[in-house]
Amino acid sequence: MQPIVYTIEKPDIAKWLERLLETAEVIAPVAGYSGEVVFSAISSPAQVLWDFENPLHPAKQFVLPQTDPIVAIKRNGQRHEVEPIYDDSRRVLFNVRSCDVKGIAFLTRMQEMEPADGSYLRRAYSLTVISLTCNTPCPLGFCVCTDSGPFLNGDYDIQLTDLGGKYLAEVGSEKGEAAVSNAANLFRTATEGEVSLRKRLETAARNRFGQETCHFASAMRRISTGRVQDALWEKISDWCLECGGCSLICPTCYCFSVRDRARDGNWIRYRIWDSCQYTAFTLEASGHNPHEQRKDRIKRRFFHKVSAQYYMRDGTVGCVGCGRCIKVCLGTADMPAVVAAIRKGKWHE
Amino acid sequence: MSTAFLTSEVRKPIDPMLPHLATIQDVKPTAVGISMFSLVFADPEERANYRFQAGQFNMLYLPGAGEVAISLSSDPGQPEVLGHTIRDAGSVTRAIGRLKAGDVIGVRGPYGSAWPLNKTRGSNLVIVAGGIGLAPLRPVILSILRQRSAYGQVVLLYGARTPADLLYTDEFDQWRQGGIDVQVTVDLGEESWRGLVGVVPQLFYRIRIDHKKTAVMACGPEIMMRFVIYEALARRIPKDRIYISMERNMKCAVGFCGHCQFGPTFICKQGPVLNFAAIEPFFGKEDF
Repeated sequence: MQPIVYTIEKPDIAKWLERLLETAEVIAPVAGYSGEVVFSAISSPAQVLWDFENPLHPAKQFVLPQTDPIVAIKRNGQRHEVEPIYDDSRRVLFNVRSCDVKGIAFLTRMQEMEPADGSYLRRAYSLTVISLTCNTPCPLGFCVCTDSGPFLNGDYDIQLTDLGGKYLAEVGSEKGEAAVSNAANLFRTATEGEVSLRKRLETAARNRFGQETCHFASAMRRISTGRVQDALWEKISDWCLECGGCSLICPTCYCFSVRDRARDGNWIRYRIWDSCQYTAFTLEASGHNPHEQRKDRIKRRFFHKVSAQYYMRDGTVGCVGCGRCIKVCLGTADMPAVVAAIRKGKWHE
Repeated sequence: MSTAFLTSEVRKPIDPMLPHLATIQDVKPTAVGISMFSLVFADPEERANYRFQAGQFNMLYLPGAGEVAISLSSDPGQPEVLGHTIRDAGSVTRAIGRLKAGDVIGVRGPYGSAWPLNKTRGSNLVIVAGGIGLAPLRPVILSILRQRSAYGQVVLLYGARTPADLLYTDEFDQWRQGGIDVQVTVDLGEESWRGLVGVVPQLFYRIRIDHKKTAVMACGPEIMMRFVIYEALARRIPKDRIYISMERNMKCAVGFCGHCQFGPTFICKQGPVLNFAAIEPFFGKEDF
């Protein structure tokens, strides 16, 4: 749809949030127990942070929770009853950064592929995403390289931009329109000057990224044509500690395992995040493991994200440039480092 | 928020990960540690609507133990009864192995691609199986027996570790009478064994193949399939007429969970039956 652009004065944001809180659970970046920033449900608008470091855990946890019950098996005497578990309560994700918006859009696109994942989609379709653009890039982000920031042209429901004393609110979907019409008296249509100011801010933000960020194109070509030496993968894998952190905090990683949990004589079948970096991820009951070596698993991860996702699936890179893997990796086997190594044909040492 | 919040919810997707209950009708020991389980859906409507093709698999679920991908090994012409040949290998199959007739089990499926029985109509077939790899190929044999004249020469090359590991030995005579050349070998014979000893790919030396109109269907350990492909290519069988059935750890069987990714394909969606020409760049490489 053609984006409709409004503005809202900064003091009115609290009133809007109160209206949103009446109808849905609002999740926003808040200060955690030890001062770190986390995404959490809020009870009052004052909790919301406006100038914050992007939380370490991406917002994917609200569409694909770490443990996600999918089926309940109830025992009724001799009979078994199988019931699906759905979560379609209304949620508003407030003040998320562009990279997380793109991450959720990516996951939804993947889960919509046939056969569609009903459990995921119910949650995603009930979620309104209100994002906040980044006037200043975060120190580790490289979203300009993955077309996922610092400002977006789509995939959000509402995109807020800080214009000084007010916020520009670009509405990108019917869900966004609904969230605005909920408090229509607080918004007014934006002037042309305000829209052009947003464009100037976007250009300025793009220019603030450093020279060396993450050049995917040549790495994609090399990895797809098998021009990456095995020795290089081995070198990269020497720096991996198999912690799986990169998958758990990646906004585009969605691999999971399915487990059972007994509760009151019934069974809850739930899925739980898994990582392709764990040895047992591909272990078969026979003992055969096609990805026994660490270098195979590293290769698999980057082959999927940098090559297969682009060429075989939807023409995007499986990365939103949030820079979380740089923060979490205890070695240095993060996305920009590996892409640079593939591009240059040698590991940084 | 008065306007429709869930605007896209019109496309209500049904959940593909929901198991359906089935009753175990019969358990028949087939080899050491391997039994054939015959399942019947509890819901009569489901029983009537269920169809599968040779080579596809179901996800069998036992509450508390977990879920496991098992090939259908019964005749696709009789889809009311689902046959699964299960070996005690891991925690789930061991728990399933303890079940008896009358017990309830969760089933969802069928999933995956099928053996190209229509595409290979009229040509000669070399069916190669190693160990429990015969289970997903049994529906092929049973389908061929029903319409034997539609195919040319049909050979089954089958091997297992020891004579006690051979599957469906009581059916071999019936298959031979139906016009299928059954060649059997074991890796390790024993005193009473009067048959061949050796690995499966060597059985290729016992048959004559017209490479212009022969297709190969193979299922077994990956190392066996590698050498089967080698022998087939050495006999000038074209790459796109070699089909293999692959095995990977699976959790969801519908392409969500990522476990069975094989190069750019998912074994649960594009596989398990894959054309060798399509996967040649990845097959046999450690990394994929």
